[in-house]
Amino acid sequence: MATFFVNGQAVTAKKNQTLLRFLRDELQLTSVKDGCSEGACGACTVLIDGETCRACVPKTDALEGRHVITVEGLSDFEKKLYTYAYGEAGAVQCGFCIPGMVLCTKALLDKVEDPTEEQMRYAIRNNYCRCTGYVKIIKAIELAAQLKKAGVIPEPSEADWKLGSSVHRLDVEEKVLGYGKYPDDWYLPGMTYGSAVRSQYPRARVLGIDISKAKALPGVVAVLTAEDIPGENKVGHIKHDQYSLIPVGGLTHWLGDPIALVVAEDQETLEKAKKLVKVTYEPLPAVHGPEEAKEPDAPRVFDEEENNVQAYKHVSRGDATGAIARSKYVISKHFETPWTEHAFLEPECAVAYRDEDGYVRVLSTDQSSHTTLHECKILLGSDKVRVQNQLVGGGFGGKEDMTVQHHAALITHLTGRAVKVKLSRAESLLIHPKRHPFWMDFTIGCDENGIIQGVKASVYSDTGAFASLGGPVLERACTHASGPYNYQNFEIEGTAYYTNNPPAGAFRGFGVTQTCFAIESLLNEMAERIGISPWEIRYRNAIRPGQELPNGQIVGPETGLVETLEAIKPYYDAAVAAGKPVGLASAMKNSGVGVGLPDWGRCKLIVEDDAKVHIYAGASCIGQGLGTVLVQMVVTNTPLQRDDIVYERSNTWIAPDSGDSSGSRQTLITGEACRRACEKLTEALKTRTLQELNGEVFYGEYLAKTDKLGADVPHPVSHVAYGYATQMCVLDRKTGKIESMVAVHDVGKAVNPKSCEGQIEGGVVMSMGYALREQYPIDDNCKPIDKFGKLGLFRAHEIPEIKAIVVDKPGLDVACGAIGIGEITSIPTAPAIAEAYYQLDGQRRTKLPLSDTPYERRGR
Amino acid sequence: MEKQVALVACNGGCRSDSCSYGCIGCAACVSVCPADAIAINDCGVAEVDESLCLGCGACADACPQEIIHLHDPNCPMVVKCSNRDPGKVARTACQVSCIGCGICEKVCPSGAAKVADDLSSIDESLCLSCGMCAVKCPRHAIYDLRGVLTAKR
Repeated sequence: MATFFVNGQAVTAKKNQTLLRFLRDELQLTSVKDGCSEGACGACTVLIDGETCRACVPKTDALEGRHVITVEGLSDFEKKLYTYAYGEAGAVQCGFCIPGMVLCTKALLDKVEDPTEEQMRYAIRNNYCRCTGYVKIIKAIELAAQLKKAGVIPEPSEADWKLGSSVHRLDVEEKVLGYGKYPDDWYLPGMTYGSAVRSQYPRARVLGIDISKAKALPGVVAVLTAEDIPGENKVGHIKHDQYSLIPVGGLTHWLGDPIALVVAEDQETLEKAKKLVKVTYEPLPAVHGPEEAKEPDAPRVFDEEENNVQAYKHVSRGDATGAIARSKYVISKHFETPWTEHAFLEPECAVAYRDEDGYVRVLSTDQSSHTTLHECKILLGSDKVRVQNQLVGGGFGGKEDMTVQHHAALITHLTGRAVKVKLSRAESLLIHPKRHPFWMDFTIGCDENGIIQGVKASVYSDTGAFASLGGPVLERACTHASGPYNYQNFEIEGTAYYTNNPPAGAFRGFGVTQTCFAIESLLNEMAERIGISPWEIRYRNAIRPGQELPNGQIVGPETGLVETLEAIKPYYDAAVAAGKPVGLASAMKNSGVGVGLPDWGRCKLIVEDDAKVHIYAGASCIGQGLGTVLVQMVVTNTPLQRDDIVYERSNTWIAPDSGDSSGSRQTLITGEACRRACEKLTEALKTRTLQELNGEVFYGEYLAKTDKLGADVPHPVSHVAYGYATQMCVLDRKTGKIESMVAVHDVGKAVNPKSCEGQIEGGVVMSMGYALREQYPIDDNCKPIDKFGKLGLFRAHEIPEIKAIVVDKPGLDVACGAIGIGEITSIPTAPAIAEAYYQLDGQRRTKLPLSDTPYERRGR
Repeated sequence: MEKQVALVACNGGCRSDSCSYGCIGCAACVSVCPADAIAINDCGVAEVDESLCLGCGACADACPQEIIHLHDPNCPMVVKCSNRDPGKVARTACQVSCIGCGICEKVCPSGAAKVADDLSSIDESLCLSCGMCAVKCPRHAIYDLRGVLTAKR
């Protein structure tokens, strides 16, 4: 027992526990986020006697007499100061790391009035952020220092909420001050805790499950197995091959396969009870990778499948083989890219309870509440489910699948009790689908002027233990493998294999991050062979409005690849002239699902009793800032002002299904649906006031219509729009480290330019990790071996100067011309960096993370 | 940051001659320090005042025991022991000796803490300064120099 002070109040912790558990579970100070409980992430940073400390490290008994500060304990001036500075700088995205960052800021500014940039970087260097790339957080610290000294907080620099204005995001305050709720921040009366007992073997037959001892433990509410599932056991995004619980007699597919769900009154009992569930197995040989999976006599990952091929795609237009044979210059190479962990700061968590109408209500962190609803309904065999998004602490593709939501729903459905199901960080690293590792063979043929004649490729990926989005990722890898260039002889075949590794699925870039590394690296080598610059070869081949992409689509007037090349040219030329090693790469990325799949945006504008328009769209804000985008859409397309509008988080009973936050689609697809609803609202406002419109609903929907892959039409429309980008990397010749990155992105129309820059900076830093350092090693037992703190994510003191340039190019006739930017920010980064290292040392690197750089991790 | 400061890797828990690795209180470091940043403390061992230290390394060169090294002042978690004897021997030599038990390595989230030759060390380029090692060290051989997660000394 110890007595200490929290935000100035004396408190006594009777039980010796980590400070984190005491602050959250007993004092309900939920600004202190639980991101890993391992000491790694920094999301639980508090101040102890003025010094930054992770609350998950010290035990309460060791804190006698200490003074602890959380953001709830900031002075009113500090609250305003940090809310303003973080909002003005555009430093807030998903928000999960932000209270910790704010306390790091305070600790620094309490000691140093005028910090240097280096001091600012060091102040936050032990805290991870996966969204922002730290650039704007450092700006926020700088601004906070100035304003703290001045003692006055000004008005936001941009107050007009129309498109093109960098207004403060609408969720800044709740994230800076930590009162916004992620699912883990809910503490409901009588809430139980649930967790799954998972397979001990990556591939084994489950022979028996003995739950009797666990059930008998006092404090255990229920132990559920596959027999208890009222609906379909198998769920899944497209293909239903993800077991919710492995039945007796069933095969396990990876170490994350759940076998029993334990529910207890408290977290300690839960952990004890999980150990009492006895599962007997017949261990079987596992499939460790695609090379094993493709053997004719390989063990089958699924009883239900004839072989381990999860998906096969073949894309062909023109005559690639013939065109390459006739080319003057031909280069063939093999490329490999690794697994990547999303490392969002908020681990998966869902809270479920029975609501006032008898529905199972799921409070979720996911990339679509409607997808969660759909999958929960399948599992429960019941329509009485409602899902509501809470704040989402980052997704990047890793929160598209069911991890905890369906389990929480099942527990409440069967026990009637409220429950929280949360993954530990170690579970999170194992369980949500990762970025697919790819093995790729590419051949490119060019004429003497560097004009691409044809490209032929063959790729395969490891999609792990269930399909997730393995098929679509493979498809996107194939359709975009051509690069954003004007040629018509292109052929690629791709295969995704099931293995007993953790599943792979969506990850920012969706397969394109992988094939872009191959094609752009080849193009850089080709430029050298021909004797022109990497910039020149791209400028000569760049797709221009009205031209035909290798997939047959004729691109529209909004196509801005050339503009990105022209905008980067002064930076490129200057670096080359200064004799610096510099690398360049371009990319395109679809905005919207495309390829003939039904891609609906839907939005309701409802005038409520407060005489305000409430925006309801079943589309998740996962940190990218969708709420702000939609409010800016409404202000632009109606006579209303910001204060007339309320953004409502996605739910499934009022907000119409507007698809997943995936494929860089929400700004364009839901944005257009919102714009269409605005037209109706504007018409109504011509004759009536908001008060008079109380209760009326204005509905907009938009179907982004596209053609199927391989559709038998001359020029299939694969996607309604593409974003384009060119990025470059400049190295410091002395240190061999990155001196600067320049990233130019064509976004059609930037809704909020500062938010766009934030996406770019975050995407670039994320892919610096992909290019240089991040790995996800898996051992012989198909077990990922690294902890969160060992993934190799970049830290604030390590990032180079990042110049983000947003290019507006009008022409797209939907969503006011706005094209999503979510994914493309991460795509051309790795090949640009690889080329810069080639310029430094003459070594062509074809495998990520790149070898022989100062960033390479020792002992690997 | 480029500036480094000196660290004496001994906490002086033994006050006896039984540890052959630790500080012997000879004050060679004190006499060469140009900034008066190092002094013999009440445990009889040298201790650096990081706010005064210039990071010149003169003390490290002067130390006959070779137990002073330069470290990043932004990394407050430090191993304050130099005893390389096997655990059993190290345990009897001093109250606050590192016995190479490896708990620090196990709880370190970032792979910074490692035990080699029965002695823990922290790779500061990997260290996240969480202090998990300092809190869990059963021998109190790892310190939070800020005095927050462990007692000041």
